[in-house]
Amino acid sequence: MKSKPVEKKRKARDEESDSESDDELGNGLFDGVLEASEDEEDYIPSDEIDDGDSESEVSDGSEDAEEEDEDALLSDEIPSDDDMGKLSKGAEELEITEPGVDPKPKHQEEEDRNYKVVKDANGGERYVYDEIDPVYDSDDSDAQGPVNTIGDIPLTFYDSYPHIGYDINGKKIMRPATGDALQSLLDTIEVPKGWTGLTDVNTGNPLNLTQEELELVRRVQHGLVPDEGYDPYPDTVEWFTSKQETMPLSAAPEPKRRFLPSKNEAKQVMKLVRAIREGRILPYKPPEEREREEEEKEEVQFDLWQDEEPAAPNPMHIPAPKLPPPGYEMSYNPPEEYLPTKEEREEWEKTDPEDREKEFLPQKFNSLRKVPAWGTLVKERFERCMDLYLAPRVRKNRLNIDPNSLLPKLPSPAELKPFPTVVQTIFRGHEGTVRSVAIDPTGVALATGGSDGTVRVWELLTGRQVWSVKLSSEDPVYTVRWRPTKDAFILAASAGEDVFLMVPTHSSVTPTLDQASRDVLAAGFGYATNGQQPATAPGKEPAGKWARPGTKLEDAGVLVRVTVRSAVKVITWHRRGDHFATVSPEGQRSSVAIHTLSKHLTQIPFRKLHGLAQTVVFHPLKPLFFVATMRTVRCYDLQKVELVKIVQPGAKWISSLDIHSGGDHLIVGSYDRRLLWHDLDLSNRPHKTMRFHPKAIRAVRYHKGGLPLFADASDDGTLQIFYGKVPNDQLESPTIVPVKQLKGHKVVNQVGVVDIDWHPREPWCVSAGADGTARLWM
Amino acid sequence: MDEPMNDAPGAQVKVTFTTNEVDLQLPEEKRQLLVPADIRRYGLSRILNSDLMLDSGSIPFDFLVNGSFLRSSLEDYLNSEGLSLETNLTLQYVRSLIPPVFEASFEHDDWVSSVDVLTSTSPAGRWSGDSFSRGQERVLSASYDGLLRIWNASGEVLVTSPSASHGGHSASIKAAKFISSTQLASTGMDRSVRVWKYTEPGASGQAELKPTLELYGHRASVDSLEVHGPSKRILTASADGSVALWSTSKSSSPEADASLLPNAHTSKRRKITSSITTPQRGPLFLMQVHNAPATAAIFDPRDHTVGYSISQDHTVKTLDLTTGTVVANLTLSHSLLSLCAIPRSNGTTLLAVGTSARHITIVDPHASAATTSVMTLRGHTNKVVALAANPENEYSLVSGSHDGTCRIWDLRSVRPASGGEMTEGGMGNVSEPVYVFERESRQGKKKAVAGEGAKVFGVVWDKELGILSGGEDKKVQVNRGRDVVRE
Repeated sequence: MKSKPVEKKRKARDEESDSESDDELGNGLFDGVLEASEDEEDYIPSDEIDDGDSESEVSDGSEDAEEEDEDALLSDEIPSDDDMGKLSKGAEELEITEPGVDPKPKHQEEEDRNYKVVKDANGGERYVYDEIDPVYDSDDSDAQGPVNTIGDIPLTFYDSYPHIGYDINGKKIMRPATGDALQSLLDTIEVPKGWTGLTDVNTGNPLNLTQEELELVRRVQHGLVPDEGYDPYPDTVEWFTSKQETMPLSAAPEPKRRFLPSKNEAKQVMKLVRAIREGRILPYKPPEEREREEEEKEEVQFDLWQDEEPAAPNPMHIPAPKLPPPGYEMSYNPPEEYLPTKEEREEWEKTDPEDREKEFLPQKFNSLRKVPAWGTLVKERFERCMDLYLAPRVRKNRLNIDPNSLLPKLPSPAELKPFPTVVQTIFRGHEGTVRSVAIDPTGVALATGGSDGTVRVWELLTGRQVWSVKLSSEDPVYTVRWRPTKDAFILAASAGEDVFLMVPTHSSVTPTLDQASRDVLAAGFGYATNGQQPATAPGKEPAGKWARPGTKLEDAGVLVRVTVRSAVKVITWHRRGDHFATVSPEGQRSSVAIHTLSKHLTQIPFRKLHGLAQTVVFHPLKPLFFVATMRTVRCYDLQKVELVKIVQPGAKWISSLDIHSGGDHLIVGSYDRRLLWHDLDLSNRPHKTMRFHPKAIRAVRYHKGGLPLFADASDDGTLQIFYGKVPNDQLESPTIVPVKQLKGHKVVNQVGVVDIDWHPREPWCVSAGADGTARLWM
Repeated sequence: MDEPMNDAPGAQVKVTFTTNEVDLQLPEEKRQLLVPADIRRYGLSRILNSDLMLDSGSIPFDFLVNGSFLRSSLEDYLNSEGLSLETNLTLQYVRSLIPPVFEASFEHDDWVSSVDVLTSTSPAGRWSGDSFSRGQERVLSASYDGLLRIWNASGEVLVTSPSASHGGHSASIKAAKFISSTQLASTGMDRSVRVWKYTEPGASGQAELKPTLELYGHRASVDSLEVHGPSKRILTASADGSVALWSTSKSSSPEADASLLPNAHTSKRRKITSSITTPQRGPLFLMQVHNAPATAAIFDPRDHTVGYSISQDHTVKTLDLTTGTVVANLTLSHSLLSLCAIPRSNGTTLLAVGTSARHITIVDPHASAATTSVMTLRGHTNKVVALAANPENEYSLVSGSHDGTCRIWDLRSVRPASGGEMTEGGMGNVSEPVYVFERESRQGKKKAVAGEGAKVFGVVWDKELGILSGGEDKKVQVNRGRDVVRE
């Protein structure tokens, strides 16, 4: 079936090529018809055609006839008219032209030439070239259809003619058929049912298509599934459901994911939840509403300058310096004295222009009109501009602060007098270091203890030694302390493990006082003999052994010896004079002992101590007891037997401690060179830390007689006197001013001043030095 | 030197001489004088002594210009003060003070705490009246070894007081004074006041010093002692804060408080048994007037019923010694350590008070509190523990201090206190020492820190013997004191 149309087509092509070589007459018309016929032929067997020429037409040919018309109508105005005609004729001529014979053979010899030679009006030869027939897909865009050449005249002129003008070759362009004519033509043609206007290539009969076939074509053309009954979206069949099947398809156990909530999903959900919470995902709103909202948002406008006040002119703006006003010498007619002399002129001319004082010489002119133009005007302006450009006219904001104003306001030391300033008496006599000094409560006698094992009592003002005793030949006397009451004259001193209590009776002590003191010391022996000493565990050394020191010492006035377990370094009296505490830093748990004088009783108050005890002090008013270990100061209530407070001075190794007579302030000296003032009510941390010494601080002491003074003693051989006023108002902080550094002690073996004590009333202090002297400063 | 000569070869300054000395007044017409500008004190003194002026022979004069002594030429003075040569200078001429030249030292075994003299012009000499014979000048020194020594003017020890076991002091003596040519009193750290009978070396050749009375009453070391011969009264001040008035006569003294006697408690102490029993008596009055150690007490030089006492509690108290009450109280700003009275010619008495703050305050005990502090004398570098007024005039005194120096002050040479000195409690005017003399034993040595080894403990100024001072160097040092002596 197929071979026949191909053959037929071949035949038709041959004919076609013949017709192409035809002369121009009727060429335009026939072309279209031939082509149309060709289209019809090519329609069905398009897949078999391998000739490149006809391929382009295939797509067009697949269109319906009506659509082809429309295309033609759209593509060109004028040829479309012809097409209409062709369509109608084409159907008729299809049978006529196919077998028909063409007049082409007559012009066989002229086939090679594409021009004709005609005679022009003058009788000369004129070559008339063939019309170049652009094939359908030719690049020649110039080839228009027949163009009306009548010019710019109304078409109404041709209303009475069948044509509407002439083409370039002078041929009439026929009036296209009007709508009425076309309609009437179409009406005359009876279109049979299923008519397609195509010829069945197999049979040669007109190709009629049934309704089903047309529908199929339509579906294909619309890109639908050709089969009408096919449903592309069928309902799903749940082959696998969550329902428990009685007979499941698979015997596999149900996977975990079926019943475990998915972590991944939870994550995703949480992501969404978080996004919703954070406002990244907003609930749906109709677009118009959203738009409206956005518009509302946009409507909020801020007035940036609503609070703006008129600012002062830019402070950085500095006007360029003004030029000085012209003087007399600049005048065109200056007074004579401004005119340069000859020497001046010569000198001016000699000097370099840059070194000249003035860049001009005054000149005299009779009248202003004789003044020449200023020769260097441009240069001058340029230089001035350069100056303005290059000179950095920036106001530098220098920080103008008086360094002294940054210092805290401290009262001048001169206003804080009295305080000790110079050494006034030197107490010389000890061999080796003077370890300790103490002024008796009346302020008349000074007691010192030294490394030579002696205790000495001196007249304070004159420096006269009035009494002395040698307590030990090996151990130094570490500390001497007066009993702080005036009813007796008792001195406590420690040497080694022994604490000696003595009545340093020199001649100016009245027998009554002497006897009273002896009675105070002797009172406890009754207790001891009455067996009221607390029983100590058998085999255990008692905390303290009270005994008489032997006749030799007793004759000298040393009446009681208390022996504790290890060497005593510190003695502190309670203010009433009945108790005193000793510290023996090496003594482990028994390092702190409290002794009761009236009962000759020694107690060890602490079962355990946190660190090595360094020094202790009694609170001046309350039953509190401060124990300084190496790093902390602990405050104990002696009545309730409990820890009240832990003060942390922050020092690495506390050396000394003293409490203000008001009881609320504490000073701590440390071997790491610091002096720390504590306000006990305020904080456990130091209120003030002072470093005034390059070496360790050995002793600190408040003035106990009402003067706002305290002092420290350091290994650098100096004492630092401070003014330390504790205000009556609890809210105010104490005033602490260093007022004087007292120098004088010599440093021996890196030890300077070891101990210090204040006079009970006056602003005088006594220091004990490693150079073997004690010094009174006033 | 040439320039001023060329400049003003005959530059002269117009001066006006004035004086307060009654016997040296110039006639009115001679008071104004033109003197060369480069003249110095010596030249001015020569002019004044010349025939035309005073015709007084050779009295050395000093000249006070605006309250200070002229120490340079007039021209230099004017230049330093910024005055022109045309200024009319007012020169007040006074009898010159002669530097207190060192004369002698009396060696002791221990620190010398106090010195007193017995001469015809000393109080004790005057009180003794006719019984004091000329040429019998004696020096009494009290020492820390507990012994009294009596010297003649040439420095020989005539007699030493007996030791403790023979009725002497059992501890250091802090003060001793002649009451008359035959009686003296001493006190010290053993709390007792002792009255001694002194017998001049007679035909037997040996002077004698016998205790006649022991007075007990103070409860601490007695630091100061003052006597009044005619009324036989002793005034003492003690470190227990009390001031006591005693009588030298055994019969008029009350019994002593037994508890204060040295052998009151014999329990376990070694008794200092004395071979000589001396009557023991108590005080006429014991006034517990101070609450800190009383450091000195004196009689008013004109009225022995009035006493003054000072103390380390910063107060000066005026005491009525007939009733034993405090009449007036004056509080200063420092501890007070020494006291002497300066009788003024106008009938008032000024008190010079030595303080622990290294200065001497002159106070008027009679005036109201606002004007009590008249003057501050500055210059010492340590506690001022001894004061003595010049017996010959009313405007100079000598002070002894723990800094090892004695200083002579002239109250006429004053200047107003500057601001810094005002804040230190010094009020009113300020004066600087006229002369400073150190311990002769320290001559040529470096100045001791804190006066160590050179402290002066006692000083006395006598018209005839001069200035005697005792101190830590175990010496009584005699310096010439006849500075204003009229020849």
